[in-house]
Amino acid sequence: MTAPVLSLSDVQLSLMGNAGRVDILHDISLKVTRGETVGMVGPSGSGKSSLLMLMGGLERATGGSIQALGHDLTAMDEDALARFRRGHMGVVFQSFHLIPTMTALENVATPLELAGASDAFDRAEAELESVGLGGRIHHYPSQMSGGEQQRVALARAAAPRPDILLADEPTGNLDGSNGQAIMDMLFGLRDRHGSTLVLVTHAPDLAERCDRVITLKDGRVASDNRVVAEAAQ
Amino acid sequence: MIAWHIARRELRGGLNGFYVFLACLALGVAAIAAVGSVRVSIQEGLAREGAVILGGDASIAFTYRFAEADERAWMEAQSEAVSEIVDFRSMAVVERDGAVERGLTQVKGVDAAYPLVGDVQLVPQIPLSTALAGKNGLPGIVAQRVLIDRLALQIGDVLKLGTQEFVLMASLEREPDSAGGGFGLGPRSLVLTKDLANSSLLEPGTLFDSAYRMALPNGADLDMIRAEAEAQFAESGLRWRDSRNGAPGLSEFVDRIGAFLVLVGLAGLAVGGVGVSAAVRSYLDAKTGVIATLKTLGAEGRTIFTAYLIQIGILSAIGIALGLILGALLPILFAPIIEARLPIPAAFGLHTAPLIEAALYGALTALVFTLWPLARTEQVRAAALFRDASGPVRAIPRLPYIAAILIAFGVLLGLAVWFSGVWQLTLGAAGGILTSLGLLSLSAWLVRRIARRLSRAKAVRGHTALRLALGAVGGPGGEATSVVLSLGLGLAVLASVGQIDSNLRSAIERDLPDVAPSYFFVDIQNAQLPAFLERVKGDPQVSRVDSAPMLRGIITRINGKPAREVAGEHWVLQGDRGVTYSQRPTENTTITAGEWWPEDYVGPPQISFAAEEAMEMGLDLGDELTINILGRDITGEITSFREVDFSTAEIGFILTMNPSALAGAPHTHIATVYAEEDAEAEILRDVAADAPNITAIRVRDAIDRVTEALAGLAAATSYGAAATLITGFVVLIGAAAAGERSRVFEAAVLKTVGAARGRILASFAMRSAILGAAAGGVAIIAGGLAGYSVMVFVMDTTYTFEPFSAIAIVIGGALATLLAGLAFAWRPLAARPGQILRGQE
Repeated sequence: MTAPVLSLSDVQLSLMGNAGRVDILHDISLKVTRGETVGMVGPSGSGKSSLLMLMGGLERATGGSIQALGHDLTAMDEDALARFRRGHMGVVFQSFHLIPTMTALENVATPLELAGASDAFDRAEAELESVGLGGRIHHYPSQMSGGEQQRVALARAAAPRPDILLADEPTGNLDGSNGQAIMDMLFGLRDRHGSTLVLVTHAPDLAERCDRVITLKDGRVASDNRVVAEAAQ
Repeated sequence: MIAWHIARRELRGGLNGFYVFLACLALGVAAIAAVGSVRVSIQEGLAREGAVILGGDASIAFTYRFAEADERAWMEAQSEAVSEIVDFRSMAVVERDGAVERGLTQVKGVDAAYPLVGDVQLVPQIPLSTALAGKNGLPGIVAQRVLIDRLALQIGDVLKLGTQEFVLMASLEREPDSAGGGFGLGPRSLVLTKDLANSSLLEPGTLFDSAYRMALPNGADLDMIRAEAEAQFAESGLRWRDSRNGAPGLSEFVDRIGAFLVLVGLAGLAVGGVGVSAAVRSYLDAKTGVIATLKTLGAEGRTIFTAYLIQIGILSAIGIALGLILGALLPILFAPIIEARLPIPAAFGLHTAPLIEAALYGALTALVFTLWPLARTEQVRAAALFRDASGPVRAIPRLPYIAAILIAFGVLLGLAVWFSGVWQLTLGAAGGILTSLGLLSLSAWLVRRIARRLSRAKAVRGHTALRLALGAVGGPGGEATSVVLSLGLGLAVLASVGQIDSNLRSAIERDLPDVAPSYFFVDIQNAQLPAFLERVKGDPQVSRVDSAPMLRGIITRINGKPAREVAGEHWVLQGDRGVTYSQRPTENTTITAGEWWPEDYVGPPQISFAAEEAMEMGLDLGDELTINILGRDITGEITSFREVDFSTAEIGFILTMNPSALAGAPHTHIATVYAEEDAEAEILRDVAADAPNITAIRVRDAIDRVTEALAGLAAATSYGAAATLITGFVVLIGAAAAGERSRVFEAAVLKTVGAARGRILASFAMRSAILGAAAGGVAIIAGGLAGYSVMVFVMDTTYTFEPFSAIAIVIGGALATLLAGLAFAWRPLAARPGQILRGQE
């Protein structure tokens, strides 16, 4: 059996809100293997986005351990986590989260530059062309539509050829046709680069495109099904 | 009405987000209110204490002479009491253990009636009459602490003025009438005039002023008495002053410096205006959704504009009120400190006039700077709810709004001219502020373009922190414009002060001593002149000696008409001027028009007048001047003009006459001696031994006194500039705080894509430094232009760019922005990206 790229063991997450402590995730344990596509579904507030943030080291677990590519994310400080994400992880958000003061090209080139790539801008340009934005590389986010911005975000996440792609409801802010196009691109990129893809979504049809669907409920894993394998059987 | 309801509901959110707005307005208003309050306090103090400052209800002064018997009799007939004082410069000499110490002092000889009004304070606390009575058979003297320290004197020591010995009885702590006098080169000492009889200091022709202070009966009509005095002794050269304006020089000085500081305060308000404008803009940006919703519900553009105008109006009123409270309280709180530095007791308290002035400035500035962003509320479309709110909004408001802004600005400028009373200075300052704002806007635009261009340059690729910084400066939104404008204007004021101050100092400190003589000797009697010249000219270490006869006179008439009617308030007509005579022009004289009189000329008096001053006064060859010298009128014809350069500290006279015109008048001589420094002490000793009445004024000391006075002015101006800079810093903090949200987001995204905190911090620091340096750069250009204008057009001298203050300002600008930026970098760096980015989903 291949070694897991992500391994979560008894992971807990509690946050302090105005109303006191809120327990978000309870003792989550799961493994994701290399090349897998995992869809995470569940009702709002079930903790799926929080779980994705923990996998990306963007949020800090209050209990348990998270291993990514053999590294213990829970033992790393902020800077170590940032450095680890370079080249290993790409994240796509529902609200795109492009830096408004940078052009499309600069947004995409930034993670490559941070990873020390000498050809950051050439690769960024190629990545933007691959998502159909070759003609808009010098445009600022405010000059683009939502679908275009999400394509830039996709290019930014994929450009460093990450081992793991994390996507948090990437089509949540887009209309049907734009959402479909983005999902095609996301899976296309994943196929091209062989990355592991973990996807949070509300859309059942999207989840069905994954190898595996994990359903969360009240901060716990309610079910964990290997969709494609089961369907094939 | 509906607009009022909307405004009221919107204001329920409290003042959150408006602290910078309030601080900017309050600081600007406070600075102007405080300066105005101090000015009015001093003016009221001057008015209230007029009699004390003057030394009586009215004063009649003469140059060179005491009052004649008939003049004295007339004064005594008008008054309940008359006190005579005599004022002149001399050398205080102390012999101790065979060594001789000398110090220049401004001597005031008084009579038993002095002071008619007010009290003299001495340490030890003894009555003045006891002090001046002296002891051990010697008359007494009291002197200011500076002179006592300079000569290392103890109470009871003996010192000499001229040939008369005095015993030092006390130090002079407070002289009630000190503010009424002019600019003295030496510290004050006080003796009885009668004790100067044997000092050989008040010989005919000696330079001295006498003044007669009169205590008038209650209800005396000052105007009538003045008119009578001037009619009775029209040609006597008397100078009248009364308690309504006891210290006209000081009063005028306070007015001028007050007006100037208010203008500096207005620059501060302009800086605050930039902050106010930025705060309103960011508030309204955040309200785009609300405005769009209101439009969806049927609100017209005008209703929305009015609703937000009311809100900003209420906030402005709060800001102005805070500023007025601060500006009224500060002078009262600092009254003891300010009063300790003033020669007169000021009337500190609540003065409404300067508060009204400051409130008007505040309200108009708020209007000028907020109308533009307010007008843009009209252009928010309901579609903003469904589309990206940052979509294009027409940048320029409609014409009526622009007209309103221009009208408000015009009223502001008009008020400033009216209140300050010096229209050239006000318009110059307003021009300077506008030019600076224009330059700064242009520079902000350029910086953004260059940064945008550079962020795409191949050279910066791989330097992520720098590229991020350049991208942030050049990208859309951002704080570049408000930071460059606010900090830049504050720094521009400081740079102007720095350039002008250092240029003035170097003009005095560096340029002058190269050519200036070491000493001026005054009061050399005719009989003493040959011996004096023999001593100094025979000295191998003396390179040059110039001497000239010296009288003083007042120009009373030009072509038979009162001089001031013809030439206004020109400085040559204010008080008495030096007059000399000469058979032939000196070696260095350049005649610019007309001809010098023949060497043996004995006809009607002829005058050679300084060319530049003649032009300013509108004098022509052939004009007749009447000059009152020692109470006698001499009328002569201007037959030549010549160049007089006062900047070299050579002997220079506005008026030179042919010798026979002044032959009968008793006079002394003035001499300048250019000597090597180590020869100075010996020359002084020899001259003083032969002629103790001769006063030596060391040019270096005189320059130091002027520099000291200048330093005080520069300090006052620097405080004004500092207020502007503090406002600039508040705006900067405001901009940094407003930008914090976007930096938090940016840091979260950068962390997500792999940037460590050090690199993010470096990028934040670099963008601050770039903006600060840009603001500093423009400030230097603006400061240079202001410095050039003031030095060349106002001071009539040359301008040299002073690099040190300039460099300090650029570094200061970059550091200030850096500090403000870094103060708001903590949260972005500390925040977890997951929470931030999810919070925005």
